[in-house]
Amino acid sequence: MRRGSLIQLAAIAVVAAGICVAVALAIPWLPQAAGKEAQRIDMVYWFTTGIAIAVFSVVVSVIAYSLWKFRARPDDDSDGPPIHGHTRLEIVWTAVPAILVTAISIISAIVLAQNSNAGPNPVKIGVLARQFAWSFTYPNGKTYGYLELPVNRKTQLDITSDDVIHSFWVPQLSQKQDAVPGQHNKLVVTPITTGTFPVICTELCGLGHSLMRSHVTIVSQADFTKFLKGGATSGPPGLAVFQQFGCSGCHTLKPAGATGTTGPDLDKLQQYATQAHRGSLEAFIKESIVSPGAYIQPGYQNVMPAIFGQQIPPDKLTQLVQYLAQNAK
Amino acid sequence: MTTTAAPVHVEHDHLSPPPPEGIHRWTAPGWLRVLWVTPLFFGIGLGLPVLIRWLVSWNPVWNGTVLATVELVTTPVGFLVGLGGFDYWAHYASGRPTRPEDHSGHGARSWRDYFRVNTDHKVIGIQYVVTTIIFFCIGGLFAMLFRAELARPGDQFFGPQTFNVLVSDHAALMIFLFIIPAFAGLGNFVIPLMLGAADMAFPRLNALSFWLLPIAGLIFVVGMAAPGGGPSAGWTCYAPLCAHQPLGNVFFNMGVQWAGASSIMTALNFLVTIITMRAPGMTFWRLPLLVWANFTTSLLVVIATPFIAGSQFFNMFDRVLHTNFFEYQNGGYVLGYQHIFWFYSHPAVYIMMLPGFGIISEVIAVMSRKPIFGYRLMALSLLAILVLGFSVWAHHMFVAGMAGWLRVPMMVTSMVIAVPTGVKIFSWLATMWEGRIHFTTPMLFALGFLSMFVIGGLSGIYLASVPIDIHASDTYFIVAHIHYVLFGGSVFTIFAGIYYWFPKMTGRMYSERLGKLHFWLTFIGFNLTFFPMHYIGLQGMPRRVANYAPRFADINLFISIASFGLGASTLVFLYNMVRSWRYGEVASANPWRALTLEWQVSSPPPIFNFDEVPQVVGGPYEYGVPGARHAIFGAPAPTPHPEPVGAD
Repeated sequence: MRRGSLIQLAAIAVVAAGICVAVALAIPWLPQAAGKEAQRIDMVYWFTTGIAIAVFSVVVSVIAYSLWKFRARPDDDSDGPPIHGHTRLEIVWTAVPAILVTAISIISAIVLAQNSNAGPNPVKIGVLARQFAWSFTYPNGKTYGYLELPVNRKTQLDITSDDVIHSFWVPQLSQKQDAVPGQHNKLVVTPITTGTFPVICTELCGLGHSLMRSHVTIVSQADFTKFLKGGATSGPPGLAVFQQFGCSGCHTLKPAGATGTTGPDLDKLQQYATQAHRGSLEAFIKESIVSPGAYIQPGYQNVMPAIFGQQIPPDKLTQLVQYLAQNAK
Repeated sequence: MTTTAAPVHVEHDHLSPPPPEGIHRWTAPGWLRVLWVTPLFFGIGLGLPVLIRWLVSWNPVWNGTVLATVELVTTPVGFLVGLGGFDYWAHYASGRPTRPEDHSGHGARSWRDYFRVNTDHKVIGIQYVVTTIIFFCIGGLFAMLFRAELARPGDQFFGPQTFNVLVSDHAALMIFLFIIPAFAGLGNFVIPLMLGAADMAFPRLNALSFWLLPIAGLIFVVGMAAPGGGPSAGWTCYAPLCAHQPLGNVFFNMGVQWAGASSIMTALNFLVTIITMRAPGMTFWRLPLLVWANFTTSLLVVIATPFIAGSQFFNMFDRVLHTNFFEYQNGGYVLGYQHIFWFYSHPAVYIMMLPGFGIISEVIAVMSRKPIFGYRLMALSLLAILVLGFSVWAHHMFVAGMAGWLRVPMMVTSMVIAVPTGVKIFSWLATMWEGRIHFTTPMLFALGFLSMFVIGGLSGIYLASVPIDIHASDTYFIVAHIHYVLFGGSVFTIFAGIYYWFPKMTGRMYSERLGKLHFWLTFIGFNLTFFPMHYIGLQGMPRRVANYAPRFADINLFISIASFGLGASTLVFLYNMVRSWRYGEVASANPWRALTLEWQVSSPPPIFNFDEVPQVVGGPYEYGVPGARHAIFGAPAPTPHPEPVGAD
């Protein structure tokens, strides 16, 4: 290979790398990190991106150079030089990628170890996933349908599931962990900014999967202490049950701010009950929760899990039925 | 060797038996027999379980899940019996004298011969390729349907059930009915020719393995209409979700069995053919890299495919037989499913990639008019991928909650497997360097593959790194990554292969102008569709959702429009294929001036491939080496049984 062609090749590679760097910097690829773990993951991400841009630039510049210089004319029947290999070159392109991936591996392993370390005294919050809702149990024993976290403090989430596999993810915290039935998986998050971010289920879990959302609110440590003491939910006790068992994943109910469309619209319960002829409004609501297949509202499918009869304690079930019935009247 | 063009398979009129008459028309193998044997087996599959349940008074006597499971075994078997897939063996097993082979099941004299149990590897190759393209179109149509749904947030056209079915079946068809068998089809046509063999080692097994394929495809498609709903647990069909989804998931479980059986039979056939049927002088180090690639792929298939078969059986047993492989309440191990599934499905990524590597090696060497750079390292890197491929499966489970210590070792092996893949990329680049490059359609697809597969490989490095994977797994970043690997990688190589061997298969040239148009439309449509998915995935859009946050609305609309363009580009391909097959310019025996053996016979090849056994005297890629030959014909006749000379 002549020196001139090497310089031309290098020039193309530099231009290609420049374009790639511009694309990498101009677009906000990652969400704004709201946790220490996310910051470390971003660092690994940018380190890998640097290597990826270098490799990609080399490959596309050789392709581009070949397109430019080695194109045969249509009437050219000649063959290229019979080069069968070059041992030193082959060693180089085996060794250099091996070194690069080893570097990425080492950094990744260090970050993984840091991100999995819960420290001596983390806040412990239980996360229970079920079709199609999240519920979070706090150190004070209370359970809510949303997550509240103190800023600048390590929290260890203990994640499990009641039915199928779900996955807990907050894009801004970058940490993700599957919720597996029968297993308690741990996940560490250390928020660094206050704010509200989405909690997303990322493992296909059935019909309501795309609606299985909640939110995390990151507050100051003082506010978090207040939250634990107060039990911030206001409103009727049935609303808390409605949120805890994730009814909003599939149903619409205006007073609860629920907008799910997989199951019947609970603002129309009175109308459904009249159509159904299955006893009083309360009896109809209770039956629909405990044995959802008994009567199917026309236009909807028989897909509601039949497990709520066992999951919801009797007193809470009564509260939920009363809440829904009052709202419908 | 003759170089006269013969666009239709004729010649060699063998003494085929007279066509059956009267009642024998209904008992001879063929579609008339299918018409009554299939319903007969359907009746058996229906009657037997009902009778047994009635006799032992199980309620309900009529159980849809049980019946569907039994029917998905008996009805396809009935179809195969009717078509004649088992005739020879049944005849032999019943103790009657062996039928002398009259070659009546060999070759294609009319289009009808493509619709029966045909033992000619060239016919089977074309049967495979055409069938897989049909399923490619169906799978692509499903993709466009759910892209239409995703054009706006909220529900537009389908409910979540239909959406999940479309997503699951799109992947199932593309993987099990297009990419894997399309490579099997191209390999079927080309490998015996490249080896200098008359056919595959087991032609009847070969015929059977093809006919399992449309069965698997129909099961996936018919399953969509199953009472209660189609397969909706994704192509990964994770336990315990799968066993608690509608009946259609049994169709998925069983469809995978039929496709898997087809794949295993073909792989065995490839292995035996490659090991025992090489022409004299064709040592392992003289094999074209396509043959090397299919050799390693077949080893992967034979070792790995039983694992997905097992995982789907266990899943189905949990539903139908009330076993508890993955039901945690009764002591099952939920993550066990994922370990077994990925122990196949990661090697499956290489099953879907290595044959493509083989095609690209052929195309780049021929179109650059240079020997493959580092031939032996190219073959050895295939073997390295084969071995390492079995040590990386758990990188699909970094967030699954498996044993924590497994993460770092699986990350290291996943990183290391990039090295042999990199060796291949760099060797192709070096093959092109200082070549005389002819930018024909197959070469364009090869270059498209090189650049796009590098992107897919690099995003694979991100995903091998555990911390990045924790952020990106189960998001659209994964969707982008697999499509850069399987579309930018596998599908581009399949197109390269189809264009490259089109003259050999049909005896006619495709239209170069339409081929290039197809390439550019596909290349641009592909990037516009899949590149933005990296961004929305990292930003927070999970995969497999019918609804998504409104802030992703505009970019999803853009992706949907681009995907329709990508879908439309396939029309150019189909038009080019159909038109060129009928009216294309008659192709010469060796339009690419290639050295490998398939190009040394007429296009299409004679019915038994070689009128005289070739004597292999050199490597397959000796372009530019003065006086070099890969094989000579008309050499003094070797031993009466053409035994291969052992590998050197």
